[in-house]
Amino acid sequence: MNLIHSRPPHVRSHESNFSVMGDMVISLVPLYLMAYFFYGSRTLVLGAVSVITYTVLDFLCTFLSSRRVGILDLSPVVTGLLIPLMLPASIGFTPVIAADLFAIGVIKQPFGGLGQNIFNPAAGGVAFAVLTWSDSVFRYPVPIESLGNAAARLVSSPAASLRLGATPNYPFTDIFLGIYPGPMGGTGVLILLACFGYLVIRKTISWRPTAAFLGTAALAAFCFPRITTGRFQSVLYELTSGLLLFGAIFLINDPATSPKSQTTRTIYAAIAGVVAMIFRYLGAYEEGLVFAILLMNAFSLFIDMRYEKIRHRERRALYAEQQTETV
Amino acid sequence: MPDFSNRLLARFAGQRFSYRWYSDIQLARQGIVLEQNKEPALSGGIQRICSRTLDHVPIDDLQEGDDIVTIARKAGIIDENTGRPLYLLLDRARNSGCRIIIADALDDEPYISSQLAPALEMTDQLVRGIELAKEAVGAESARIEIYKELGDSPVTIGENLGGVPVDRVGAGYPADNSLIQKHREEKASVFGACALIHLARAVDEKIAQTTVFVTVAGDGVTTSANLEVSIDKTAGELLRQFGLSDETSRVVIGGSMRGVTITDLDSTRVTAQTRGILAMREVFKDYNYTCIGCGKCDDVCPVGLSPYYLYKFVQAGRYSMLEDFDIDLCIGCGTCSYVCPAKLKIASEITRGKMELVQYMNAKKEKEQNEEVRA
Repeated sequence: MNLIHSRPPHVRSHESNFSVMGDMVISLVPLYLMAYFFYGSRTLVLGAVSVITYTVLDFLCTFLSSRRVGILDLSPVVTGLLIPLMLPASIGFTPVIAADLFAIGVIKQPFGGLGQNIFNPAAGGVAFAVLTWSDSVFRYPVPIESLGNAAARLVSSPAASLRLGATPNYPFTDIFLGIYPGPMGGTGVLILLACFGYLVIRKTISWRPTAAFLGTAALAAFCFPRITTGRFQSVLYELTSGLLLFGAIFLINDPATSPKSQTTRTIYAAIAGVVAMIFRYLGAYEEGLVFAILLMNAFSLFIDMRYEKIRHRERRALYAEQQTETV
Repeated sequence: MPDFSNRLLARFAGQRFSYRWYSDIQLARQGIVLEQNKEPALSGGIQRICSRTLDHVPIDDLQEGDDIVTIARKAGIIDENTGRPLYLLLDRARNSGCRIIIADALDDEPYISSQLAPALEMTDQLVRGIELAKEAVGAESARIEIYKELGDSPVTIGENLGGVPVDRVGAGYPADNSLIQKHREEKASVFGACALIHLARAVDEKIAQTTVFVTVAGDGVTTSANLEVSIDKTAGELLRQFGLSDETSRVVIGGSMRGVTITDLDSTRVTAQTRGILAMREVFKDYNYTCIGCGKCDDVCPVGLSPYYLYKFVQAGRYSMLEDFDIDLCIGCGTCSYVCPAKLKIASEITRGKMELVQYMNAKKEKEQNEEVRA
């Protein structure tokens, strides 16, 4: 019997980095299946290429910077899966690989790798693709129609029509099931909400930041509609078009780049909702969500520090008498 | 804003319902629910393992007309929660105008049931002890506090034990932290259930405290049990009696959340503060995980600190920030380490930071004084 010393606590929860990231992977796989159903097997190849590129680059950079190469905790897989889902199914392999390279080489590893990065790698990679290949990033294939057809016609998404002040005309069931042009993973409302429900039940993410983000975005869409057919139509199309719903679930709740406590994360998400809508209304592109996320990431430490000042005052007021009593 | 939340807290602290919905502007939180693992010790009763010399030792210099506090002092009774002599606690409660006596049988840590089991098994003595404490302190009423979460235990506890009402504390771990505010408002004094049992014995049977109640548990022993042992027993002796496995990697004195590990089994004796002896097989091997910044530790801290930032500042050695983040309020409950998915040693790092901060402050003060002298 060989007894060792260890620090308390002597029991730990069953949750680990692996299980947290595994939950994210599990919630992203249905989106790929949906994309496969809508656009064919090319989407799966895109996903696989992105995951392999990102994982290999991540390991290489960690190894080259002589940091500990931990066991595979699936975090590169999550980002690798996220990047193609934010791009159209017709996107070439070059933009995806370039986005992976940018995310690793500029956004993630220079700051110290996993958990240390200031900006969201997936959002950063996609932002790079948007700026570099802006003509092909915002042209989408039509779901089901383009199945197996390499030279399918590309159309603009509802987000583009909203930008022109025109009401997109899709039946409600189509919007619910995601049968309208848009990013690979961003369209299926039903499937996205199911993924969200899974993550909330598993307690991997909290529902509050997502609700705050969608709430303020909906409020902005309700108060300042871009279309003339009604405020509720405006809310419906603004929330379901583009990446808004996808970002509210997978980008806002990114652990490393958002503020740390529930309250600050919710405040951050609420502001991000407004900023995303401002990017849509005034920005150069039809979808500015990734830029809004990147902008807000820069403020997350600031929000945490301000909140900590408030909590510091409260804690001092609360525990002052308690301490004098025990002394 | 601080006024408002303080009032909110004063109103709701320690109440039964969960107020997580209030967001976390409130500071004292309900804590987390842990796996209890109290069986089969809790329902198995109490075994008595005593040396002959330390069994029923009479109190030496007992005189006629000694009051209860004096008897408690002469019997050498130690409160098992705080580690302080019981007579000091009684004295302080009497002087501060205590109105309610609370017998603490919480046992909120997993595995441990060394307060609850005696309270259930020796209810008569506990009730007698509570009455004596009431008499000594001049309190009006009394109650027994137990923990609501008993896991899969078949033990059922009624509304009262021997006529004393039972309060089920519904909070998670750490339960005592969320009760402090409530106790202060009620002018209640908390005494350990075991200390009260020893008080009843000292007054009625005139014997000194020579035994303590401990739980022997963990996956390194074949069965878990609650024991009443004399204070000359060593941890190794007790563990071997319950089939200590060769695969045991750690032996913990105290609870599984706050206890300390020992390596020399045969020279570690039980003390009045020893609540449990745990033998654990599992080795927390180095997972090589890094912090992903999920902020789960921030969400569970029962005093409303930010363990994430404290951990980062301790690692970076930024002592000036530690003060702003109230490192001194940390109660060392270990909840942050428990929930951490990266299995980081957050709690022990913060404790280290606390000590280093004191050294840093002392060095700074000394330096300033030296400069003043020179000037």
